[in-house]
Amino acid sequence: MSTPTTAAVPTKWWSGGKSPFNVEYGKLMMWYFLMSDTFTFGALLIAYGTIRFSSNSWPNPNEVFQSYPGMSEGTSAPLVFVSIMTFILIISSVTMVLAVRAGQEMKKNKVVFNLILTILGGLAFLSCQAWEWTHLHHEGAWWGSNPFLNEDGTQSSTNFTNFFFTITGFHGFHVFSGVIINIIMLIMTLNNVFEKRGHYLMIEKAGLYWHFVDLVWVFVFTCFYLI
Amino acid sequence: MSNEAVLHTPSSYAVHDDHAHDHHHHETFITKYVFSQDHKMISKQFLITGMVWALIGGLLSVLFRLQLGYPDSKFPWLQDLLGKFWVEDGRITAQAYYALVTTHGTVLIFFVLTAGLSGTFANFLIPLQIGARDMASPFMNMLSYWFFFAASCVMFSSLFVETGPFSGGWTAYPPLSALGQASPGSKTGMDLWLISMALFVVSTLLGGLNYVATVLNMRTKGMSMTRLPLTIWALFFTAVLGILTFPVLFSGFILLIFDRNFGTSFYLSDLYVNGTVLPNEGGSAILYQHLFWFLAHPEVYIVMLPAMGMVSEILSINSRKPIFGYIAMVGSLFAITCLSLLVWAHHMFVTGLNPFLGSIFVLFTLLIAVPSAIKVFNWLTTLWRGNIRFTPAMMFAIGFVSLFISGGLTGIWLGNSALDIHLHDTYFNIAHFHLVMGVASFFGMFAGVYHWYPKMYGRQLNNTLAYIHFWVTMIGAYLIFWPMHYEGLAGMPRRYYDYSIWESFKQFAELNRFISTVVIIVFATQFLFLFNFFYSIFKGRKATNPNPWGANTLEWTTPIHPGHGNWPGEIPEVHRWAYDYGKDDREFIPQTEPVGANESHH
Amino acid sequence: MEQTTQAEHSSNKHEIRNVTIVLTVLTLLELTLGFMMMRMADGSTAKISTKIAIIILMLAKAYYIVAYFMHLKHEIKNLIMTIVVPLTLFIWFIIAFLGDGESYKNLRNTYDAHKKAVSTQKVEIKKETHSEEGAKH
Repeated sequence: MSTPTTAAVPTKWWSGGKSPFNVEYGKLMMWYFLMSDTFTFGALLIAYGTIRFSSNSWPNPNEVFQSYPGMSEGTSAPLVFVSIMTFILIISSVTMVLAVRAGQEMKKNKVVFNLILTILGGLAFLSCQAWEWTHLHHEGAWWGSNPFLNEDGTQSSTNFTNFFFTITGFHGFHVFSGVIINIIMLIMTLNNVFEKRGHYLMIEKAGLYWHFVDLVWVFVFTCFYLI
Repeated sequence: MSNEAVLHTPSSYAVHDDHAHDHHHHETFITKYVFSQDHKMISKQFLITGMVWALIGGLLSVLFRLQLGYPDSKFPWLQDLLGKFWVEDGRITAQAYYALVTTHGTVLIFFVLTAGLSGTFANFLIPLQIGARDMASPFMNMLSYWFFFAASCVMFSSLFVETGPFSGGWTAYPPLSALGQASPGSKTGMDLWLISMALFVVSTLLGGLNYVATVLNMRTKGMSMTRLPLTIWALFFTAVLGILTFPVLFSGFILLIFDRNFGTSFYLSDLYVNGTVLPNEGGSAILYQHLFWFLAHPEVYIVMLPAMGMVSEILSINSRKPIFGYIAMVGSLFAITCLSLLVWAHHMFVTGLNPFLGSIFVLFTLLIAVPSAIKVFNWLTTLWRGNIRFTPAMMFAIGFVSLFISGGLTGIWLGNSALDIHLHDTYFNIAHFHLVMGVASFFGMFAGVYHWYPKMYGRQLNNTLAYIHFWVTMIGAYLIFWPMHYEGLAGMPRRYYDYSIWESFKQFAELNRFISTVVIIVFATQFLFLFNFFYSIFKGRKATNPNPWGANTLEWTTPIHPGHGNWPGEIPEVHRWAYDYGKDDREFIPQTEPVGANESHH
Repeated sequence: MEQTTQAEHSSNKHEIRNVTIVLTVLTLLELTLGFMMMRMADGSTAKISTKIAIIILMLAKAYYIVAYFMHLKHEIKNLIMTIVVPLTLFIWFIIAFLGDGESYKNLRNTYDAHKKAVSTQKVEIKKETHSEEGAKH
């Protein structure tokens, strides 16, 4: 390390006086917050995996999650309902991207339209989850009670439902707070806050959070419903 | 989004820089001292709260050392003072003993050495040393402190619960921590403990995100990453560790809360409590230990790294020599950060961990010795042939190096899974981690306080009191913890209430009494420091020189009493690294001085 | 900076649509594999390899969301590194946790005969009642 006469660096991103990543601090914090939240969810999912790996057998998700609202008796439709939920979340992520894009182009009406769609998508997802939870609860599943047998017909511990409700609940809580954030963004947009500020950076941060919620669902969906 | 515009959004001061003197914002007592958003005030809040907790945590250790040192004596006056839950028949009760040990550990590790150490100095030094007006988000910074304060209140209130505070050890292993019926301390006390810790995690995350964003984004012109003082590097890595691992602890606690309150069995299986079989099935207590140590091992480095950074800085300044091997120092900080994330299960060698996995953990653990040794050698070579000024801060910094070596070497023993079978859960272990992480970090903290006190309060501390404080604490620390190695090697387990009933440990009765006596003396000596600290805030010698130590870093270019915004005029520009001491026959060259035409290269 | 971001945007006009299609296709693929898996025997090689395929598809989906929706691909490389590099910690995180979970199971199966007997004893099937109950609601 020497006294610096190292002036001839092409882009001096790191030389101080500017953000080395060309992003404002808020976005940087949002990214790192999401990274730490990844570890929260990661830890929960890995805990689930650890318990599953230390059990001799585990319930088959296809036998558990096989209903949808208004289903006729005696039929079973594994994976159908959850695919709809997944799709809702992906589409709401797409509308969020459109809202962010519209914000970058300073088109207020387009931002409002897409934000409303995103909020509706979030609410739809939450409703689906509420229905699924109620349905499972009526089947006798809850924290500390598991009516389902293991795949090989042996008695299952309660940890299948324990983890299911804890992790989807924690994810649902994130969706819920995401919806709240989006509603706040909508109100702020309608009040011309961002127009006056001259940029819609706040929406970008809200967007990052919303996509993260979608991202987590990709993992939850795979870990609980598919494998 | 142009970079310049975005960069300065948080600091509205930039706009009215010029009038910063004449019209200071009309600050009330509340906004200036209580809900302050000034990083310097927040750091003082962290420091003083940390000191209160250190006092409580230390007092708890004095109480349980009374039991360990004088198991046959009776202290009726303690009963009058503390009441029947804590002291019965003149003796500290077993329940109280475990509560004392648990709270001592939790409080000192999290509240004192995490919040009090990195909270104080990250807040204080990051903006000052990188040349920023404040943290990236002063508001989140304020929230960070108040979440910590809320956590403190909840933890403090748990001391007064009828069933007592949590008493299952600071690690809070289930099933003991998960089952209220297992022990009185696992009832309300544990709920409060969990709430407090959850609030604490939020506080650390708010703080950590702020530190990282500030160090990356808010450096002043010319302050490239390789010109950062080592303090900032250390605090930066500390924050990174916190961001990556505290969430995992949080998840572990969520599952524990469910186990306690909602009938789940994430951690519970095959249990009998008081003769009844519990229905819980299929959980794994080892899972909790994995989740816990995934944080709690890096936590050791969250505690250590800020101390390392400050010590590097103080050693270089007071040796009047550049720090030896700056890049190696940064590299070893980085290596320690990476490795510390991979080694958590070395705390679990005897819990039924897969021995093969254990051997990989041994390998990673022993690798940490390499960067640690690099740091130690660099500190020693910085001292070598230096023109050393033995200021109180310097004494504590040298003491830190000594303690770090003494405690670190035993880490190599404990890191071996085969030796750990004998040494785990003994006083050897206690001696190891108290020296390397507890006392050493405390020394880093003391060094920091003594060194930056003139910047914090514009006054000087009393040196005589400081030297007495240093020597008693230094000698005391060795007298307390060195004998514990022998006890541990002889197999004396930790966390026992009364050793006098064991034939094999009777030989240590006198040694235990000796240790307890020293504990009381060392604890009493800390009041010298407290007195010195609070007295000097109001009556200390006024600092007349804005740069009393002849240091290079930016914080000493501010006025003696920096206002909110730190520099009255423009933010200084940086032209060199922080360690140009004794160069070209000049004692020190501040970072703000442009590189001269005929300046030598090194 | 302003210009480049604008240019990026216009060049990525179709990006959103394409990524949406990719995500949908990947989800459908996952579902197909999920349906195929139902007919496979528990613990068979076919089932395990299908699971691995699903995990790879999941990671691909995650990549598309992070890279395009969250716009990470268009950020400065160093920012990408500061986010991606810490995530590699998950490799050891997963290996160590799951490995130890597996080991805990094996330990108990080896040394806890009672536990093993209980956990491999089949329960008499009363499943029908459950699903009927469920369907009523």
